[in-house]
Order: sequence, then structure tokens, then C-alpha cells
Amino acid sequence: MQWLYLAIAVVFEIAVAIAAGKAEGFKNRKWTIVTLVSGAIGTYFLSKALLTFDVGVGYAIWTSISGIGITLLGALFFGQRLNWRKAIGIAAIIIGVVGLQLSGAA
Amino acid sequence: MSNTGRSSANSWLMLLLAGGFEVGYALSVGGSHGFTRLSWSLVAVVFFLLTLWALSVALRTIDVGIGYAVWAGIGAAGAALLSPVFFDEVLTPAQALWLGLIIVGVVWLKLADKPQSAKKPVETPRGAEGIDARL
Repeated sequence: MQWLYLAIAVVFEIAVAIAAGKAEGFKNRKWTIVTLVSGAIGTYFLSKALLTFDVGVGYAIWTSISGIGITLLGALFFGQRLNWRKAIGIAAIIIGVVGLQLSGAA
Repeated sequence: MSNTGRSSANSWLMLLLAGGFEVGYALSVGGSHGFTRLSWSLVAVVFFLLTLWALSVALRTIDVGIGYAVWAGIGAAGAALLSPVFFDEVLTPAQALWLGLIIVGVVWLKLADKPQSAKKPVETPRGAEGIDARL
């Protein structure tokens, strides 16, 4: 069940990033609402998942899959050019976050 | 174009600010003990709104993949750095190493993002009309 919670949290985290990009600094009301509601729901399901997952492990899986998903969706559906330099930078940060959380920061 | 360059710099400033708010959010959620402490919970809600607002402003010009990675990276790095200050935790050498990797990644992405947005439109080469379209 905790994997289902985490998967739902990932979906909403991806929705947060996509919606935040469309909310134009909260000037677009519809996308602002989507951003905030997705953020709240994502946080709720993450907290449910973290009841069983180790906090560091849960966070590591959550941010890494969300980050990869957001990057791929941005490149596939929103015409954002992904070159190897950007990909290396994104990968470095995601690996850093995962390492940090697995080494017990959270 | 200087205008594009300036708006890109502003967006990165806003993205760093969003990362800072994310740190505040992470620390206050931790301090709220599962939203059972009222004052910390209220601070967390305020930071939740601020971090998403700033991210939303930054993403107007920064790619969502880059923006998310930097935002989450600063949030995680800042929370790891500041947790020892607020919550009686220690920062181990291994954590410092991962922190360094995140910072390198953020700087790297800023540099990788810059030439793209500052680049002037390339003129189409002449003398190849009708040929390049088929290739």
C-alpha cells in the first residue's frame, strides 16, 4: 500500500511542477488552484507513504522519480529542448538529493 | 538581447528564492511534528504558498525540468545544512559531499541555461534555398 501512496504522491508532485509553470506567477487563477491543490494532495499522500517508508528512503524515491518524470514530460509534451549538458546537471542534482537523503539527512 | 538576458537573471534569482522558501517549508514541516503543533504548522502553510508562488514565477522562463531539479536540490541541501542549527542534528562528511554535488549541479545548470536564452537568432545560410528543406 505504501508504494501506491508514494506513486500517487509522485503523480501530484509532477502535476505541481507542470501547473506552477502554467500559473504565470499565480496570475492565472485556474492553474494556481491546480498548483496549490496538487501540492496539498501530494504532501498528504507523501506523509501517508512515510508512515511505512523510512523518511530518507521515501523522500529519495519521491524526488528522484518526480524529477525524472517532470524532465521527460517537459521535453516530450512542452517542447523544452533537453541537451546533454542540461541532462547532466539535472542528473547531478537528483543524485545529490538521493545521496543526501539516503545518508540520513531527513 | 539584453532584455532576455535580464529576465533570465531575474528568473534564476526567483528560483533561488523559491529554493530558500522550500528550505523554510521543509524545516517547518519537520518542526510541526506531523502538523500537531499549531505555530509551526502555520509557518509551514505560509512557506508552502511562498515556495510555489516563487517557483511559478521562475518557471515562466526556465525549463520545468531544470527549475524543479534546482528547486528540490536547494530545498534538500538547505534543509540538511540548517537542520543541525534548529534540531540538534549533525552534518556528516558524506552528507557534505552530496551537498557539494547538488551545488555543482545547480551552478552547472545555470551556466548551461545561460547561452541558450542569450543566444541571438542564427541567420539562415544563403545559397542553399530549396535544398536544406529536403535534407
